[in-house]
Amino acid sequence: MEYRPTILTGGEKLSDDQIMAAHERKHVKRVSGPGLPGSDGQGEPLVIMELLQRLRVKDVMRDHDIISVVRTDTMHFAQNLMKRNHISGVPVVEGKRLFGIVSINDIILALEGGWIGEQCQKHMATNLVVLEEDMPLAFALKYFENYIFGRFPVLNKERDLVGIVSQRDVTRVLMRELTNELARLEGAPGTPGAEQPGAAQGQEASKSEPVLPYYSMRQFVVVRNDLTNAGKAANAIKKMLGDAGVEKKIIRRIAVAAYELEINICIHSLGGSITFILDSHKATVIAKDKGPGIKDVEWALRDGTSTANDWIRSMGFGAGMGLSNSKRVADVFDIKSTVPTGTTVLCEFNLPERAAAAK
Amino acid sequence: MNITDIVKTLDGTLVAGGESDRKVGTVVANDLMSDVLLNDGDDILLLTSLASDQAIRTANIVGAMCVVVHNAKPLPQTMCQVADTLGIPLVSSPLSKYDSCVRIHDFLAKEG
Repeated sequence: MEYRPTILTGGEKLSDDQIMAAHERKHVKRVSGPGLPGSDGQGEPLVIMELLQRLRVKDVMRDHDIISVVRTDTMHFAQNLMKRNHISGVPVVEGKRLFGIVSINDIILALEGGWIGEQCQKHMATNLVVLEEDMPLAFALKYFENYIFGRFPVLNKERDLVGIVSQRDVTRVLMRELTNELARLEGAPGTPGAEQPGAAQGQEASKSEPVLPYYSMRQFVVVRNDLTNAGKAANAIKKMLGDAGVEKKIIRRIAVAAYELEINICIHSLGGSITFILDSHKATVIAKDKGPGIKDVEWALRDGTSTANDWIRSMGFGAGMGLSNSKRVADVFDIKSTVPTGTTVLCEFNLPERAAAAK
Repeated sequence: MNITDIVKTLDGTLVAGGESDRKVGTVVANDLMSDVLLNDGDDILLLTSLASDQAIRTANIVGAMCVVVHNAKPLPQTMCQVADTLGIPLVSSPLSKYDSCVRIHDFLAKEG
């Protein structure tokens, strides 16, 4: 879904230059996808990208005790309100309707111009940039980057004011969510990143009602030569699929591919990641490493061909079956490799039962 | 053939993973984990000489009902921990893999 900046118009007031400057900045900037400020959305870890897409503006906004004034309040009243509450702007609201914003700049100009005793409705900014509550957090971050404002009013679909979001609100929620995500990735007990009892037989799935989240994504870091931990990602993926109620035979195929690719990254590459995406009709496993790349991909895909050393073979791997096994179980298989940049392998699995349930 | 039968038949010891009432569906004797992953059978009894965490993780991926390590090989503590965590019975046997295969074949033949 594409969101564009929402600008409520109704007059031209003191912040016009600032708004125009902000608009110019936005148009001059190269078009970029949602992501962290200053980025093109392509370079961040997928975990963060997923977080920024999953969280909505309504998850971070302050939706209670919103400090506001009405149109007939004086600028002096607004000034005292801002001073008491240590804030740099107040929305002008009646009922749930947003009419404008009085900012600290409006107050300064009112003091200089001698209209501090006049009503807010005469001097408030009415050309407003607002956020919508269902926008992904990624877009809110882009707004903070592209505009000079420190906070944005948040509207619902009925155009009612439902909250205010500031950079501090965003930081607070992001820190909390990233901490949770980090704990999960580090395999804290009871999280999908950890090995779970019963995962082998899909017992977890049979105990509870299958859940069908429309979209979920997880990324696992795979460290070079770390055979102690290799396989944890595949086991976690298997657990996720069991929890989602996916058919056991398909779970096994996906787990086999994830495991083979995870081991491949561990024993053949400089390290990399396994990304798992589950949506309404398919599961995708993407294995990406940091090099050294495969010189002859066709050769590597043949059964029994391997560059593994004796140490790897002594650990039960290196039989040259990894890539061909992954290809055998996947509905769609693709591999791209460049020397020395690295290799990316994609395996897709159709989930017909899940697609039917989604319908 | 269940866990108790496996332990008894192979003169083995259940060292981790706990008891289970699952029965053997397919027997796989292999030390190459990719070969194990190739097998499509259910309720696999994995006979191996590989005493490592990866033998248990591989068993988990294919939904194996038991892993037997042969020649009384010392089992790493982490291997037992992974077996306990994933709930996969881990048996240590003094027999060679070949002898285990023969005994299991005889047992299953009698069981019909």
